[in-house]
Amino acid sequence: MSANSAITDTLTADHRRCDRLLAALDVSGRSVDWSWVVRETETFCQATEQHFLFEEEVLFPPLEDVSPLATGPTEMMRQQHAQIRQLMEDLTEAARLGDAADYAGLSETLHFLIQQHNAKEEGILYPLADRALGEEGATLVARLGA
Amino acid sequence: MITMADLSLDQTPPLDLPLRLFLTAPLFAASAGAVLMIDAGAMIATRWSPSALAATHLITLGFLGQVMIGALLQMLPVLGGVPVPAVRRVATSVHLLLALGAALLALGFLGGGAAALASGAAAAGLGLAVFGLVTLMALWRARHAHASPRGFPLVGLALLATVAIGLVLTLAVMRRVTLPRLLDWVQVHVAWGLFGWVGLLILIIGFQVVPLFHVTPAYPRWMTRALVPTLFLALCVITALPLLAPAVGSAMGRATHGVIAVGFSLFALTTLILQARRARAKLDATLLHWWIAMGAVLAAVLAWPLGASDQLMGLWLLIGVGVGLPSGMLLKIVPFLCWLHLQTRQLALGKRRVRLPHLQQLIPNGPARVQVALHGSGLLLASLGFIYPPAAHVGGAVLALAALWLLALLVGATLRYRAAFARLTVADSDQRTA
Repeated sequence: MSANSAITDTLTADHRRCDRLLAALDVSGRSVDWSWVVRETETFCQATEQHFLFEEEVLFPPLEDVSPLATGPTEMMRQQHAQIRQLMEDLTEAARLGDAADYAGLSETLHFLIQQHNAKEEGILYPLADRALGEEGATLVARLGA
Repeated sequence: MITMADLSLDQTPPLDLPLRLFLTAPLFAASAGAVLMIDAGAMIATRWSPSALAATHLITLGFLGQVMIGALLQMLPVLGGVPVPAVRRVATSVHLLLALGAALLALGFLGGGAAALASGAAAAGLGLAVFGLVTLMALWRARHAHASPRGFPLVGLALLATVAIGLVLTLAVMRRVTLPRLLDWVQVHVAWGLFGWVGLLILIIGFQVVPLFHVTPAYPRWMTRALVPTLFLALCVITALPLLAPAVGSAMGRATHGVIAVGFSLFALTTLILQARRARAKLDATLLHWWIAMGAVLAAVLAWPLGASDQLMGLWLLIGVGVGLPSGMLLKIVPFLCWLHLQTRQLALGKRRVRLPHLQQLIPNGPARVQVALHGSGLLLASLGFIYPPAAHVGGAVLALAALWLLALLVGATLRYRAAFARLTVADSDQRTA
């Protein structure tokens, strides 16, 4: 990992980890163990929430300090986090109710929403943060999951 | 350097602009199916039949062209971080020019006369040229964003080459210019259109969306780096063939087509292997369309050394890949865009309690799978037509039905979007009066 892509590399890998957690939640079979689905949905939501909190509390504030122009994109990302959080609530609710059709539809919607959000972060915001924060980036990402 | 272009993240165009293109496109695929239904005999006999030429352009310009331009309108701002300049005027004029151009060109081939052919070629050429220019401008302005997919400009160049040669061919057919070895130049036009515009575009989109849609491992790095430029070089070699002595040209042509065949089969095999290792287990309509399309590529590559007719390989590539993959994409893109616009609206209004239809309520899985089944059986029946000709007529009818079914699903999603949008607005005025 080179010093000036630490943010992009680490957070992209964390995106992939969350993707796999969500993808594993398949409820299309005949006999679905809903207590397992509820538990695993919670695991996925927590992993995603942890990622969001890292971005919102650890990464974005110093980025906005050194690069005031980044405020637009970080604000946009915060709004999208809100969109994703709303869907995660709906998904958790569908898991509790054991509603397979709703769960599958919400999970797919969430999947696409997250993918297009990730594409913007990985393609634009993280490279910008790596350029703006330089060496400090590696120190910051060490705090992900800490 | 950080530019403003990096910073404007949300520049997506108004929903109605891509939707117009997406909702008109299936009509052209349906028309191509109808042409096959009516004139299958001639189309199986020779690739030069007026019906085969008409159906080809209905698919490549009318269907694929419109879907891809609609998708690019949506993708360019997201990937590059810059809005498409004058998006409403550009989208409206490109949409009209391309739809009109594809329809007139098809009519021209079907006996509508030189005027239809010429005006069709001019309209489609102008539409694509306008869009190509705007795209290049947007990519140029986004060059610091590092986000535009590798090889994108090469696809643009392939499209320009197809259009430029197509326009010269139109003039030559109308005897306005003399073009020696006209048929060889048609081959060059076909190669750029089929392997460049359709093929390279699908490679680049596949590299991006296959890992995203079904959560698969990424394509190997060497493939995403080298395949598109290699195939582009092969197409450049093919362009030089009509200038060489026929004997040399034909040997080089076979070798170059070999490179192209190997390149696309590597992509098809890799895609199938990656999709077999996907984390999202569910078999959805989009995945099934990918399998049919990759199967069609491999079938065409295997059939080529066995001396299969150009018509049969053309059928597999144009319908299996050129109609199938964009259909599969539309089944995801349209409901997702509708949902995204609804949720954005919902958050803006603070209407958390209004329930929005999710993707599978906008386009239900069952009817989407029926669409794939119609498409697949239409393709199979049309292929059977090469052994038992009457099957091709039925195949054409089923393919037309598959396209109309697709249209119905997309219209259904749009209507559900409008109903949900109205509910949001009503809830808004309720709250204000309360």
